Amino acid sequence: MPVLKTRRIAHIDMDAFFASCELSRYPELKGLPVVVGGRSSHAPRIREDGTHAFSRLRDYAGRGVLTTATYEARALGLHSAMPTMHAAKLAPDAILLPVNFELYRHYSRLFKEAIRSISPLVENIGIDEVYADVSMLPGEANEIAQQLKSAVFTATGLTCSVGIAPNKLLAKLCSEMQKPDGITVITLSDIPFRIWPMPAKKINGIGPKASAKLESLEIKTIGQIAAMSEAWLVQHFGNSYGRWLHRVSHGQDDRPVITESVPVSMSRETTFERNLHAVRDKPALSQAFTQLCERVASDLQQKGYTCRKIGIKLRFDDFKTVTRDLTLPAPISDAKSLRLFCGKCLKRIALDKKIRLLGVKASGLVPTDHSVHADAAQFTLDFTVDERGGPGKLDSVLSDILA
Amino acid sequence: MQIKINREVLLKPLNNVTGIVERRHTLPILSNLLVNIKQQEMHLTATDLEMQISLKVPTDIEGELSTTISAKKLLDICRSLPDGTSIEMVSQDNRITLKAGKSRFNLQTLPAADYPLMSKASGQNISFTISQAELKRLLKQVEFAMAQQDIRYYLNGLLMEVNGDQLHVVGTDGHRLSYTNTTLDQTFEKNEVILPRKTVLELTKLLDEQSESPVVIDLLNGQVSFEFGDIQLISKVIDGKFPDYNRVIPSGHQNTFEVNRQAILSALQRASILSNEKYRSIRMVITNGQLKLISTNTEQEEAEEELEILYDKTPLDIGFNVTYLIDVLNNLGDEQITFAFADANSSCLITAGSDANYKYVVMPMRI
Repeated sequence: MPVLKTRRIAHIDMDAFFASCELSRYPELKGLPVVVGGRSSHAPRIREDGTHAFSRLRDYAGRGVLTTATYEARALGLHSAMPTMHAAKLAPDAILLPVNFELYRHYSRLFKEAIRSISPLVENIGIDEVYADVSMLPGEANEIAQQLKSAVFTATGLTCSVGIAPNKLLAKLCSEMQKPDGITVITLSDIPFRIWPMPAKKINGIGPKASAKLESLEIKTIGQIAAMSEAWLVQHFGNSYGRWLHRVSHGQDDRPVITESVPVSMSRETTFERNLHAVRDKPALSQAFTQLCERVASDLQQKGYTCRKIGIKLRFDDFKTVTRDLTLPAPISDAKSLRLFCGKCLKRIALDKKIRLLGVKASGLVPTDHSVHADAAQFTLDFTVDERGGPGKLDSVLSDILA
Repeated sequence: MQIKINREVLLKPLNNVTGIVERRHTLPILSNLLVNIKQQEMHLTATDLEMQISLKVPTDIEGELSTTISAKKLLDICRSLPDGTSIEMVSQDNRITLKAGKSRFNLQTLPAADYPLMSKASGQNISFTISQAELKRLLKQVEFAMAQQDIRYYLNGLLMEVNGDQLHVVGTDGHRLSYTNTTLDQTFEKNEVILPRKTVLELTKLLDEQSESPVVIDLLNGQVSFEFGDIQLISKVIDGKFPDYNRVIPSGHQNTFEVNRQAILSALQRASILSNEKYRSIRMVITNGQLKLISTNTEQEEAEEELEILYDKTPLDIGFNVTYLIDVLNNLGDEQITFAFADANSSCLITAGSDANYKYVVMPMRI
């Protein structure tokens, strides 16, 4: 067997993940158009004969969006992130299920454990997708892909699509080529035939703004970007983005598979069932605000982080979104402090319109044990030990500070 | 309705109330002052919703007026008018016209009824009296040690604790603590409030250090009120538990020396020029009869100061944030200051010769 000079990266993406989890719970729905995106009130009811009575899309009223649609539902024009009310017009008879994160997290764990049993070098990128560095595994790429798929199927009963390529960029692009339940393997020599004809916006990192700009320059495919010189791209897109476009259009990407991810921020937000008025709905707003802070605080504490920066996000009834943030004098992770400082951010927003969405975000994350030593040179007054009659003691307990 | 007032009469009260008006606020009326004129009296009120200052302008005035006017604009206009000008006010609908000599200003107003007045909380807890001069002296002695924008929000203020016939006042930022107390002419059950930082700074500004006239202090439910002269200040208090200051005030520190305040202050100020800009650290090397102050910065520059002291106890080599030392020395009136230590990892107690009530505790730095 030849020594592998190039890396071999697999991108594994579960097929219609949320819907598939639901289907394995309700097998009678197989083959029907099913969407996930309802509230708990849309949960199936059990009839007297033991069968389930499902809600239909036409039963929905509200402002949620679809999180997933089965391939049968996609055939009717439905897709994830589509407003549910809009979807109900297109396919009123499609089955509607509430979002059940508990269930998806359970399957997600099983899926990721299955991948890890094949290759330990796994990078989490979402609840339903991972990268795995399979460079060191023996065998052809196709065989490895087959192993990964069958491990996932054995563990979860669900199918996934696997792309194997020399780097993460190409692996992600090719896992999509044969969906669902597909395997795609590409090498660098396949780029001109298989990657270049793809639309530019398929690349992770070319968003709506960049692709609009590309289109205004008559560029639609990845190949058309590759045809441009690096200097031309830099001229139009700036130094770093232009050079990055040049690299990715030629299928170059040297990012490693990162097995331990360091989060950049943690946030929680909520869209209200009806728009809230800053004064008249103050109690409801205040309660939602406190709950968001509590949830962010518990996320922080669970993952072992404190944050140096907090921010809030408000969306008004006219969909105008404003954010305000605040850098803190010292890192925090408790709900009370979060609420206090987020409240200060809120004071900087004119509340003259009704509020549709409220969000709280913690960033500037510092692992908890690091933040303790931030100001170690200066001793702290220790209010927990009685000094009277004895010599002063230096503070060793910082928990008091964040109490 | 036409109202006449002299510029000088209005200027000082205006200055006194506008201090708390926030420049940027999302509620437009909060940048305004509430102006009330009736029964020959003129009252001005400003608030930021956390505290409120109301005062009576010391003049007889004819006419009636009840409106709100931009605090900053009104102050700027009065300030820039020449001395001795008489200002004429005419209010109509949602506008007010100020005429002074050949100047004329037409300003927008907002209705007085919309002004968010804080009313004094009912259910009085404790009421006591202390002179303006004394209260100002107490506040000045401790306010510099308060925390600023600390996540421990209860430190961003000042503890006022009434216990028996004693009033204790404490400020701390967790690294140093400044404490003083005074005796009241009545006895009370233990009661404490944390005054917000802004209230303390504003109050200190308003108090007259020359005046022996009384300040009536009411500790109310979630509020505190100070009434003195023509001024009433109401403030919310910080809802939190102030740390137990008694626990960090040491009493057994054996290694002590006395030093002239001005001498050590000047030496510290000179040495601080070359102390690390970020950590502000300074080394105190205390040996027989001598105190050395040494500072170095990141560029390896060095300053050294020597002071003669009466000292024959354990030699010490201890580090401090020089700012914490300069702060206290700047705020003490006394000439002889006592430093007391245990060791290089324990707090230092600084006391003043003539004021047995005052105590300053500062934690060292690792050097």
